Amino acid sequence: MGEYDLHSLILACDFRVEDIERMWQWLSKRRDNLASIGAHHVVVYTSIWEPGRVLVTIGIRHPRSVRDILRSPALFEWFDIAGLDDIPPIFGGEVVEKIDLYEPSPEDHVGRIVVGVMSSVDNVTDLMAKIHDGLDRFKRGGVRKIWVYRALDDGREVMILQEIDNEINARQWIDHPDAAAEWMSKAGFGAYPTQFVGRFAHLMAIDEK
Amino acid sequence: MFVCLCTGVTSHVVDEAVANGAATSKEVAAACGAGSDCGRCRRTVRAIIEAHFAKNGASSAAGR
Repeated sequence: MGEYDLHSLILACDFRVEDIERMWQWLSKRRDNLASIGAHHVVVYTSIWEPGRVLVTIGIRHPRSVRDILRSPALFEWFDIAGLDDIPPIFGGEVVEKIDLYEPSPEDHVGRIVVGVMSSVDNVTDLMAKIHDGLDRFKRGGVRKIWVYRALDDGREVMILQEIDNEINARQWIDHPDAAAEWMSKAGFGAYPTQFVGRFAHLMAIDEK
Repeated sequence: MFVCLCTGVTSHVVDEAVANGAATSKEVAAACGAGSDCGRCRRTVRAIIEAHFAKNGASSAAGR
């Protein structure tokens, strides 16, 4: 993976796209644009149950570049190509911890079935303690990895990505999340999208310019 | 969450504007700038307004 970890500092966005493959082809031809906004990786997950819904994470090089990226014409052009009239809210954050419940995975690992939630919690430090206390339960529920990110603009806002072993356990998690998963309660409220359950679809590495 | 890409306004700032009395997307734009430029974030702004009033047990004028 080299200098930049795949998911250390990211932007994440959940939206619906008219044609996912067309969007990806368009992105693939614009690596220079992505490099120019400081992106080093783009990962696309596609929803299992909601056709056209995607969760996109963009690994970026510098926190100072977040607002510049958000204002860049490249991002607006991307949303135009995706067919979006309404621009979705964007999570910008840095990793708090990546927890492997099984053997450690390579740095460039991406989850195959992922539950993604953007939400706010009372206290991120307390949340991490609760997560660690509940890891055995998480594991029994099929959770393989947990990535926790804290928003750059709000210390109580988090994005949690969990890799889960199969679709049945993902549905079980959505319907009956662990008591420690307080982030689940505010999903879909206000600016936060509803819980995302998807599969890995695409990964692009981008060289620094 | 970054809500307005044009101005860099976050959901936290929009929440504060709503808590301070902004009850429509126009009032939010006037209070903090979110949605005042291209306007493509107004749906999210309205969702934040609705969530605020749902939490506080009153109806909003977010559609205005």
